[in-house]
Amino acid sequence: MPQPIEQQKVLQDKVKEHEHLVVEGMDISGHWNRMFGQRAIFDYDPDNLAKVATLQGGESLEWCYGCAKCTAVCPVDIVGDYSPRKIHRKTQLGIDLFTSDDLWLCTTCRNCLRVCPKEVDMIQIMPAVREQAVLAGNVPAELQKAFEDTAKFGNPLGQAQRKRDAWTKDAGVPVPVMSTIKRPVDVLWYVGSYPSYHPRGIDAARAAARIFAALGVDYGILGREEKDDGDSQRLAGEKGLFEMLAEDNIAAFNSYEWQRMVVTGPHEYNAFTNEYPKLGFDRPVQHYTQFLAEHLDELRPLLKHEVKARVTFHDPCYLGRHNGEYDAPRALLQAIPGVELVEMGRCRENGYCCGGGGGGMWLDSFTAKHTSMRLSERRVREAAEYEAEILAVCCPFEVSRFEDAAKSTGNDSLKVRDILELLDLSMRG
Amino acid sequence: MPADNVMVIGGGPAGLEAARLLADIGTKVTLVEQRDFLGGTPIAENYAALTHGFHSAEEMMGAMVARVANNPLVDVRLGSAVTASEGEAGDFRVTLASGGASEVVAAGAVILATGFQHFDPGRETQMYGYYEYADVITLADAEGMLKQGSFLKPSNGQVPERVCFIQCVGSRDRQIGNEYCSKVCCGISSKQAIEVRQLSPTTKVFIFYIDMRMYGYWENEIYWPAQEKHHVQYVKGIITEIIKKGDRLLIRGEDTTMGRPMEVPMDVVVLAVGMEASQGTRQMAQLFGVAQNKYKFIDVPHSALDPVATSVPGIYVAGAAAGPKDLDDTIGMAGAAAIKAAGLLRRLVMA
Repeated sequence: MPQPIEQQKVLQDKVKEHEHLVVEGMDISGHWNRMFGQRAIFDYDPDNLAKVATLQGGESLEWCYGCAKCTAVCPVDIVGDYSPRKIHRKTQLGIDLFTSDDLWLCTTCRNCLRVCPKEVDMIQIMPAVREQAVLAGNVPAELQKAFEDTAKFGNPLGQAQRKRDAWTKDAGVPVPVMSTIKRPVDVLWYVGSYPSYHPRGIDAARAAARIFAALGVDYGILGREEKDDGDSQRLAGEKGLFEMLAEDNIAAFNSYEWQRMVVTGPHEYNAFTNEYPKLGFDRPVQHYTQFLAEHLDELRPLLKHEVKARVTFHDPCYLGRHNGEYDAPRALLQAIPGVELVEMGRCRENGYCCGGGGGGMWLDSFTAKHTSMRLSERRVREAAEYEAEILAVCCPFEVSRFEDAAKSTGNDSLKVRDILELLDLSMRG
Repeated sequence: MPADNVMVIGGGPAGLEAARLLADIGTKVTLVEQRDFLGGTPIAENYAALTHGFHSAEEMMGAMVARVANNPLVDVRLGSAVTASEGEAGDFRVTLASGGASEVVAAGAVILATGFQHFDPGRETQMYGYYEYADVITLADAEGMLKQGSFLKPSNGQVPERVCFIQCVGSRDRQIGNEYCSKVCCGISSKQAIEVRQLSPTTKVFIFYIDMRMYGYWENEIYWPAQEKHHVQYVKGIITEIIKKGDRLLIRGEDTTMGRPMEVPMDVVVLAVGMEASQGTRQMAQLFGVAQNKYKFIDVPHSALDPVATSVPGIYVAGAAAGPKDLDDTIGMAGAAAIKAAGLLRRLVMA
């Protein structure tokens, strides 16, 4: 577990004071026992930086020359005190990143790498260092639980594998499952864990099923043969778990005939297009926004009902910055009659992060201890500033995160909707 | 009848290059050097490896010397001091003193290539203790050590655990009177940091700086590799003072990006001393009556568009005699000065 501050080589500026303290019969409560943490730097220990640099993927941390461009765009720094430059400096000073709380704050949103002139790559550094922390057993408890649930149940929500397709029952349309229909399909729809199990994720899954049915898409899902993609667990340091899941998923993908895969979530899209190919799976994959944007001509006539609202869109880090897709979601929103699309200040390449990536989804309480507000709360405040009535999303992590954040920040009137739900609403009225 | 030769004063990189280029285009050269050998500061001050490419200074300067030494168009005058000059462009008469004898030598044009000297850290306003602590050395001292192929703690001959460089010693300092940047010290420190790391991979090397000023090859061949390949640690914040503590040195300053004071032990501290006008540069400026800037370097009135012309027609300057220069700039100036001088002679002969 993280080293107590007293034992760290380099101390923070911290005032320590015990409210009640009696030493050898003498009451020295309150300011009588006030102590100040060590302030001067007495040592530099670049060995810890070297330790990171020797890891495969960790090389670039020491490339930092301190320009600090990353700090301005780091979503964590906006609500806390954290950025790649700061991590580099602290590590250069001798802080052990492997046991530091800082290790778990990065959401791998990729905005730092976008602006970094030295290409210091936190997307490689974080999983590399975290993997060592995981091997050493230094993992925050809530993240450890998500790892364990994923290993045990095939999903981080800890839900039974046999219930993975339970959501299909109330979709209002038949949802073909590959093992039942036993025939080749055009589209293999990888549903994903949150759309399969999370109550608000299920809303999006059912909407997707109805849209696919209305479009006459020839598709199937894997149902109980589908497991979590594992990409966020990989980024959180559980490479072994990721590889296990990938192996199972690839076996399931390969056991059926299909032409292309459509995924509900950007993290799954990233996994299947960028990571699974390293393990031998290399087939065409589309995020659902890309698939539907391609079918916009057929979709448009189905969007009969107005959704009269001022809508803003939150770019998912793993669809936008990581994979370069900014236009497909916007094309869908603009096709919905009545929608007035407004962009927030932080959008597209500079989109803010919901806080759910890189394991952040399972570090909510941990991160809350180090930030003034949740990243999701910062984001809904921005949406509210732009007077949006609906915050549209297309990542299954986001609906629940932003709905909670809207409530906790007093922006109850801000509705959070997956684009699938908005399309479905326009289709059905 | 104007004289048909150019006098080059100074046998370092600038003078050697100017002499070679003049001879290459068929112009006679009188190359005057007060020392008994050619090669200039890189040889006199025991430089180890030159930038770029980390080639041996002796080999590189040896090659430059070889190009002029046996050239029939170059009259090399070693151990010769310039004691007087009169005349004007096309017709300078320069008195050279050598071994008790003096001789007046005619020259159509003069190139001053009299270079720089290292800043003496005894004049430093900070408390670096160069003359008190054996383990506080300068870049030039470090070059001498590196040339011998070892970098040991001077006080005890051990491999140092920690070495740091302090930038801007004697440069960019109003109190010292040197407001200018010496241009090469960031790069030379980084070069030496790489060499120390290569000699002793267990030694931790730090560079404390105000701004890192490295462009061109300094950036790409020195700075980035120093950080990325050789694990040199750059810390923004200069050291204010050095205090002896046991058999180590305690450096005191502020780590500015952390906003915290630092008191860190070091085994060897290298002062990145800057450049000042050499004695030769000061003397020649006065003797030839060319204007000097406030730092006693030779003034170049139109430095941007005419970077080698001094205040006196027919007298040109090349290299660090005109202010801090790296080898790139020095060699470029030497070429420009050679062409300017040869062009002047040609115009006077045709006129």
